[in-house]
Amino acid sequence: MAHVFGDPVEVRVTDGRPDRFAWRGRRYAVRRVLEHWVTTRDWWREREPDADEPGEREYWRVEAAASGGEPGVYELRHDSVTGAWTLSRLWD
Amino acid sequence: MHLHVASAYSMRYGAASPKALAVRAAELGMRTLALTDRDGLYGAVRHVRACAEAGIGPVLGADLALSPGGAERVVVLAVGKAGWGSLCRLVTAAHAAGERGGAWITAGTVAERPAGLVVLLGPASDVGRAVAERDRGRAVALLDAWRATGAEVVVEIVNHHGRGDGPRAARMLALAREAGVPAVLGNGVRYLDGADHPVAQVLDVARKLVPLHRRHLDDQTGHAYLKPEEEMRRSAALACGEDAADDLVRATKRLAERCVLDPERDLGMGRAHLPGTGPEPHGRLLARCLQGLRGRGLEHRDGYEARLAHELDIIGRKGFASYFLTVADAAALIRDLGIRCAIRGSGAGSLVNFLLGIGDLDPLRHDLVMERFLADSRPGLPDIDLDVESARRLEAYEALFARFGTDATACVSMMETYRARSAIRDVGGAMGLPPQEIDAIAKAFPHIRARQIRAALTDLPELRRSNLNNAQLNVIFKIAERLDGLPRHIALHPCGVILSNATLRDRTPVERSAAGFPMSQFDKDDVEAMGLLKLDVIGVRMQSSLAHAVTEIERTTGERLDLEAVPRDDGPTFEMIRDARTLGCFQIESPGQRELVAKLLPRTVGDLVVDISLFRPGPVGSDMVNPFLDARHGRRPAVFPHPDLEPVLRESQGVVVWHEQVLRVLDVMTGCGLSDAEGMRRRMSSEEGLATVGTWFRERAHARGYDGPTVERVWRTLAAFGAFGFCKAHAAAFALPTYQSAWLKRHHTAAFYAGVLSHDPGMYPKRVILDDARHFGVPILPLDVNRSAVLWRVEDGGIRVALTEVRGIAEAEVERIVARRPYASLGDFWRRAHASRPTVERLVLAGGFDALYRDTPVGRRDLLCRVGALDRASSVRPSAGLVDGQLPLGDDLAMPEPGMLEDVPLGELPPMAPSEIVEAELDVLGLDVSRHVIAFYGDLLRALGAVRARDLPDRGKGEEVLVAGVKVATQTPAVRSGQRVIFATLDDATGPVDLTFFESVQDRCAATVFGSWLLLARGRVHKPGFRAASLTASECWDLAVLDEAWRAGGIDAVRRLMAASGPSGGGRMGRPIGRRMTYSSGFAVSPYADVGHAGPQIRRPPAGRLWHASQGSSGPTDP
Repeated sequence: MAHVFGDPVEVRVTDGRPDRFAWRGRRYAVRRVLEHWVTTRDWWREREPDADEPGEREYWRVEAAASGGEPGVYELRHDSVTGAWTLSRLWD
Repeated sequence: MHLHVASAYSMRYGAASPKALAVRAAELGMRTLALTDRDGLYGAVRHVRACAEAGIGPVLGADLALSPGGAERVVVLAVGKAGWGSLCRLVTAAHAAGERGGAWITAGTVAERPAGLVVLLGPASDVGRAVAERDRGRAVALLDAWRATGAEVVVEIVNHHGRGDGPRAARMLALAREAGVPAVLGNGVRYLDGADHPVAQVLDVARKLVPLHRRHLDDQTGHAYLKPEEEMRRSAALACGEDAADDLVRATKRLAERCVLDPERDLGMGRAHLPGTGPEPHGRLLARCLQGLRGRGLEHRDGYEARLAHELDIIGRKGFASYFLTVADAAALIRDLGIRCAIRGSGAGSLVNFLLGIGDLDPLRHDLVMERFLADSRPGLPDIDLDVESARRLEAYEALFARFGTDATACVSMMETYRARSAIRDVGGAMGLPPQEIDAIAKAFPHIRARQIRAALTDLPELRRSNLNNAQLNVIFKIAERLDGLPRHIALHPCGVILSNATLRDRTPVERSAAGFPMSQFDKDDVEAMGLLKLDVIGVRMQSSLAHAVTEIERTTGERLDLEAVPRDDGPTFEMIRDARTLGCFQIESPGQRELVAKLLPRTVGDLVVDISLFRPGPVGSDMVNPFLDARHGRRPAVFPHPDLEPVLRESQGVVVWHEQVLRVLDVMTGCGLSDAEGMRRRMSSEEGLATVGTWFRERAHARGYDGPTVERVWRTLAAFGAFGFCKAHAAAFALPTYQSAWLKRHHTAAFYAGVLSHDPGMYPKRVILDDARHFGVPILPLDVNRSAVLWRVEDGGIRVALTEVRGIAEAEVERIVARRPYASLGDFWRRAHASRPTVERLVLAGGFDALYRDTPVGRRDLLCRVGALDRASSVRPSAGLVDGQLPLGDDLAMPEPGMLEDVPLGELPPMAPSEIVEAELDVLGLDVSRHVIAFYGDLLRALGAVRARDLPDRGKGEEVLVAGVKVATQTPAVRSGQRVIFATLDDATGPVDLTFFESVQDRCAATVFGSWLLLARGRVHKPGFRAASLTASECWDLAVLDEAWRAGGIDAVRRLMAASGPSGGGRMGRPIGRRMTYSSGFAVSPYADVGHAGPQIRRPPAGRLWHASQGSSGPTDP
């Protein structure tokens, strides 16, 4: 079943793809990328619209496992403006 | 490597220019770049040239819809010459299939001529949609249908990183592999960088006329930019895996290399594609010229045969004989229709054109040279421009199409691009602003470029005082600026016609113009680059005005006037010109020109040539006018830089005025010959070229023995003249209609006004011309349904208002009204003329029925009520009006049908007051026919002591006065200082008053000048000429506002109001408006010079009440 999180995670990127990440004190190795997509913000709906910095959120849905753990599907989100990574969903 | 790229020529879709794309592709190390604009090849020629400059190979194609207005699209690329021809014809067929703006194709269209075509099936194609819907069977069937067309078929893999894009791309690739169809990478490029994404989003919704919302966006992710190869590979790898990505990159490059087109071999650039004129064109051209020489009686005259031989030599070397034969053919065709036709521009300098009857100006008599028009040093086809009557221009086009064949002809198009107002409209709409608000904001700006928007907000006083400087609007302005210069829609070029041969449809795609003419997707520069002959057939309103005047003279007097045969030295005509009474005349009616003719005092057509040439930014900017005038009037001797140059510069008193003189000066000082001189002159238009030519000139002139100071002096003059000068042939061609219009004004005054009022050729609103007619003693006869015609007519020495002046009247209504008269009554008119109710009401209000009820006490108000009753009666009984005699709708208004007008007995409504009548006339006709509108302000103006235009010349120079009037023109032309100076003209019923507002007073005046229709202004009298007087304005007010104060509180209230808006002071006083651009000659130009003014148009009075016709309202008072 899917769980929705918003936890910050630390992610290592190799060859433009997430390779490892650390969440709640555990380290996970990415086995493969299942899906990748990006979204942009609806700048025109903001109180003071600013179209100069369109920004981008990049989503990686990956199959990963903690060392010695069962593999699961994790959705990692990267915000191009802040540079922050978030674990947005998890299926187990 | 990109094969699917939309530039800004994909209207309201792409955001980058072809040039920017080509430069970026080269920077990214790409060897090829495709341009595949939506619905056409609008940017193709620019792309080819940009690629050549960037050193990469051009690929061309088009992105075409698969149903009218549908979302499914394919890209079709061209391979080789055959492919280019097929592509042109495919695009033409796509436009022929749909409504205008709704081009579409099917596989069947491609199958009609598949040679050299490659169809790219991407995610937006029918195949791509089927794959997205996981409908494998349909995808395979559709793919087979494309393969059956005979064109090459390739699958295009695109990953824009939207949700689901990757898996879809993988399924596309799988389909291609299974079907054995090659696959390549594409990116559906729309802009250069990811940062341009918001612009594309705004374009998406502007195209669809909806506000910004996710669901309306074609581009969700901002990845449709010109990605480097490595990023393309990565996108492919994320979707299809590493190995497939490498294969795709290789396949993409291979296809791109194969599609590279050679501009000369494949596109036919670099040579001319003229109409066939039969064998031996040069021999026939020679024969026609000799015939012309005999016909014009010039056979043994000095110089003519030598000049002819010289011109024919050049034409022979260039191989342009059939070009001249074609143009001669076209000009004869137009004249045979009885359409006035005059040559304009440099072509008037060619004796061959004169002898062939293309033009009517003898170049040797006016000392014009051929090389300015055609020289060995000039690349490409020469330009011949024909001026024809504007009202019959399309008739001329149709004759040309019929003569040369529809497959071999097309009109030239032009791109309307985003400017400040249009960009604000589209972005404002995207951001969901209410339409009225958008309209008000857009109109607050003058007609400037979009990228000047925010600078103008701080530069221009009329905008500084507005409330547009806020954060909410700022985002709109910022995006609007980014739309600057992007093509917005395609339009018919106002004059260019391509005349070619049967291969034309293989060389240019053609679509229909709004008026239904076949129109090339190429603009005038593209057409030239493609080696196509473009004839400019220019509709000139003055030619129509002249033609109408001549017709009216013949209709009223029986005299058939040949304007070309009128003596060109008529004393009274020049006397009128010297008095600057030239409103309505060609070229010499503007305030600046009226000032110049009053100073220059022309006595011959040659003087008019000089006058027209001097009234240009160049001579004004380089201060050539005053030395010329001083020498002309003997105040100082003419100074020649060197005695050798005296013959060249004598006519213009030592001043270099014309391109022709530059050629001759260069030739005299260097001995280079006129052809090379023309080449040098052309190079002098760029700063860089100017330096090169300068070095060359100095070396050659020194070598020929001219001393250093002389050479420097001459070069300074030439350099200052720069690119601004004027082609004398052009001025000479213009001087003729100038003289002809003035001659008509002087000798056939009423017919002249009938012509000018019918065709509106000038810069002023018609009501100014009307008032000028009053001053020339021509009675203005009111609108009359039994007498007014389609156009203005001469009647008993007066002029009768035309029916077409009635606002909103339909052409068919006018025709019916004229065809079915006379009318005995309003009821009779209603029954037989079948005009719409608003039209009839306007005819009533403007007095069109007054003559029918002159002897009965029926006012316009009564008649207006009657229109309502007639309308109600005919809508109650649908058969009304069809069967004569059955209707009680009385012709006799004194006995209305009982029960119809029961509430309003006739004759009891008060008649309209004179002020109301003028108000109605202004509303319906835009003209104050019965009396001048300023008449209603007479008391106030007398109380203020305002000076009338007629009395202004009697006031002392520098005296401070008040003037008032209706604003009839505002201009911000380029002036010597580089200031933005506002010139305004007021009309106060005694003539025009010209006002000058310098930058120092614009803080407090600009908004009022641009925003008000009636103005009162204070200023000092300026006397530039012998008789002319104008005003250097310091303050101005809206006269309607002052009038209101006057009615409420008398003259004291008015004075208080005037004092209150006095000098605003503040640090901005005298601050320059915008940053000037300075040329090397010292000539500076304001960035706001020569742009249309802010606010509404002033050709018609503003809607709404102009004054308060309340109880206290005084009637008109005589000035």
